[in-house]
Amino acid sequence: MKKVYLFCSAGMSTSLLASNMQKVANDHNLPIEVKAFSLPNLQDIYEKEHPDCILLGPQVRFAYEETKKTYNKLNIPVGLIDASDYGSINGERVLKLAIKLMKQGL
Amino acid sequence: MEGLELLCFKLISAAGTARSCNIEAIQEAKKGEFEKAEQLMKEGEGLFLNAHEIHNTILAQGTNGGNTDGSILVMHAEDQLMSAEMFQIIAKEFIDTCRRMSELERKVN
Repeated sequence: MKKVYLFCSAGMSTSLLASNMQKVANDHNLPIEVKAFSLPNLQDIYEKEHPDCILLGPQVRFAYEETKKTYNKLNIPVGLIDASDYGSINGERVLKLAIKLMKQGL
Repeated sequence: MEGLELLCFKLISAAGTARSCNIEAIQEAKKGEFEKAEQLMKEGEGLFLNAHEIHNTILAQGTNGGNTDGSILVMHAEDQLMSAEMFQIIAKEFIDTCRRMSELERKVN
């Protein structure tokens, strides 16, 4: 089971996107678990859960470069969710981004 | 997902990205990259105006009574908008301060 974890400022709206992505993954029988959290909890979550892919919401784009630097070193791909995909709650496109990131590696 | 929920998501995305632009603008200003800071502020302003348009649409539609999930999402969307507005003001002041500090540093060195 691959863990795709989403992070934004509060994790609130992002949890709806996560459940949308989970649905798409389930529909295609993909062994992927999608969950949403708030960015301040990232380090904690990493230590406890060891996600396979980290995606940041457009609300926290300012933290992208630093997060990428930190977690790429730990071999975890980090992606940025496109603002229009986020705004249209496009679970399929965001899930594709996660899969692409995990496939291509670092 | 459609209707009010989708509008809320669009608002959260536009306002949230606008706020991120403002934060990135401060980060650039701290490095003395004022042109980049101004560009990011401009990008943020466009998104903020976009957010306001969506907000007006939500207000014009009125609230959908009874749907708790919906109203919590509306609250969250409104919160993002307010926070983006506040951050725009803070970022402008901060960039101005960074600019003055940078000028002072240039004079001293």
